[in-house]
Amino acid sequence: MIRAGLALIRALIWAWVLFNVGMVVWVLLNSVKSSREIFDNPAGLPATWMWENFATAWSDSGLGAAAINSVVLTLVSVALIMALSIPAAYAVARLGGRSSGPVTTFFAVGMSIPFQAFAVPMVLIGAGLSRFMIDWVTGVWDTRITVTLFYVVLSLPFSIFVLIGYFRSLPGDVEEAAALDGASPFRTFRQIMVPLAKPGITTVAVLNALSLWNETVIVLMLVPDQSAQTLNVALLNFYSNMQYTSNWGGLFAGVVIVVLPMIATYLWFGRRIVNGMTQGIGK
Amino acid sequence: MTVTASDTALRAPSAGRRAKVPRGALQGERRRLYLPMLLPALIAYLVFFVLPSLFGVVLSFAEWSGLGTELSWVGFSNYVSMAGSELFRASFVQTLILTLVVGLALFLIAGASMIVLRTARGSAFIRAAVFLPFMISPIAVGLAVSFLFNPDGLINTVLGALGLSELRQPWLAPELIFNVIMAGVVWSAAGFYVVLVMSAVDGIPPSYYEVARIEGASELQQFRYVTLPLTRDMLAIAASLWAIAGIKTFEIVIAFVGTAGTPPPEARTLAVEQYLRVTGGREGGLAQLGEAAAIGIVMTVITAVLIVLSRRIQRRERLELA
Repeated sequence: MIRAGLALIRALIWAWVLFNVGMVVWVLLNSVKSSREIFDNPAGLPATWMWENFATAWSDSGLGAAAINSVVLTLVSVALIMALSIPAAYAVARLGGRSSGPVTTFFAVGMSIPFQAFAVPMVLIGAGLSRFMIDWVTGVWDTRITVTLFYVVLSLPFSIFVLIGYFRSLPGDVEEAAALDGASPFRTFRQIMVPLAKPGITTVAVLNALSLWNETVIVLMLVPDQSAQTLNVALLNFYSNMQYTSNWGGLFAGVVIVVLPMIATYLWFGRRIVNGMTQGIGK
Repeated sequence: MTVTASDTALRAPSAGRRAKVPRGALQGERRRLYLPMLLPALIAYLVFFVLPSLFGVVLSFAEWSGLGTELSWVGFSNYVSMAGSELFRASFVQTLILTLVVGLALFLIAGASMIVLRTARGSAFIRAAVFLPFMISPIAVGLAVSFLFNPDGLINTVLGALGLSELRQPWLAPELIFNVIMAGVVWSAAGFYVVLVMSAVDGIPPSYYEVARIEGASELQQFRYVTLPLTRDMLAIAASLWAIAGIKTFEIVIAFVGTAGTPPPEARTLAVEQYLRVTGGREGGLAQLGEAAAIGIVMTVITAVLIVLSRRIQRRERLELA
């Protein structure tokens, strides 16, 4: 009885694995089918391989421009996040005295506040900021800069919190040794501690890149101009036009364009992403 | 890179030399570095995240359509009118149902995996494969799932081919769409929680299971008396993480309708309801920022309550595994 139950669970888990693999294959195949064939032949191989789906999605539906926006926003934001959070985490983990406990808690609180508590002030700051810059400072403003600003601050709590853990786990005598050899505290940080923390830093950077690549709601709220939107939002716009264009093959090509970089990252970093997401949290 | 560091470690001085170093001076120098390194991040976090969030609380007592329009203080009337609004109540109940039903499903899936995955062959591959949907943009997940359940989609086609035509459903009709959305959320999140709790199971020394086996415990008893007690803390963490994530469910709902349409009231979560009020709906209505802010506050309160409840799972004393 129990044996049969366990065998059933095992079978269900394998069915789940197969389903996931099947979904990936199904999306990939749909992306190279004609829209007719997606409906008439939902499970089989395409009769003609429609590679031009990718071309139409990329150019006609604006996914190309959106892909560039996504790449630039993700890379710039991750660079800024790391530039701010690495020194801050090091300071809290290694240099702080009594204040480092409360500061850690202060950052940790930010991780559990739902984004929606922040949404309305964010929209107002975004509007105020662009009006202020246009009227008083630069004369022009790009909402993508506002998006970058909020990408960065919203990612700080998680990044700093996890990096504090990494820096705390490094051995302290390395620092002492560097100091005795005459390295200034800042040089110790830059040339000794940052390289030592590199695995942790890479993990945090990759995790931030993943979540920002998949981010949608901030762009939806802050960027009305379609040419400045990111891939996920462009995909939604594409989907909304489906009743006029019926370009389902192109839509699936768009899904592949959004998903493939993530799957590639996953295959590349694999365990490290999984461990970073799960073990960093457990501590 | 690590070579540099270990080189330095090798050249670490003996205890005798260490005594001569003026520790106070070094500590002072390190202290002076503390604020310059911390402040940029701290100020950015404070000015652009913490203070605005607090401002959100204030705004929930106002009626406002944004900069350049008139702001008036209305006290609790946003909250009162929300309580009387059918749309709000529906999205409130749906958000709770989604968080609890999906949460229960995730718990069962994670529990079942804990029983069999520890010893299963191909465990690493299974974990990698089930984790995959969690990595993928919820928009892409929502598009794919909604297409699967399309009236002419694969699910109905397969049901027809199997001769089960009477099971074919208009899955995306208002009565059923929320169930489909919940199934999509389970699919996209379950792998993460399986891997999360399995990371705790991996931390249990195998000798515990050996002893249990020698004592004659079945696999279910091993789960009940070894795995479960030793992973309680992780289950508590998983529960609060799910509470934080579940309450915010947004993208997958939007992906079912795209940017042009508005999700039917039967499919809206609180986050969707708030989004419609922030943007003034897709029909170009006026934004209702006060009400939207109040929804954000309600969501924060629910999240806090659920986190406190899930912390109760946690054991009081800390366990040290050998």
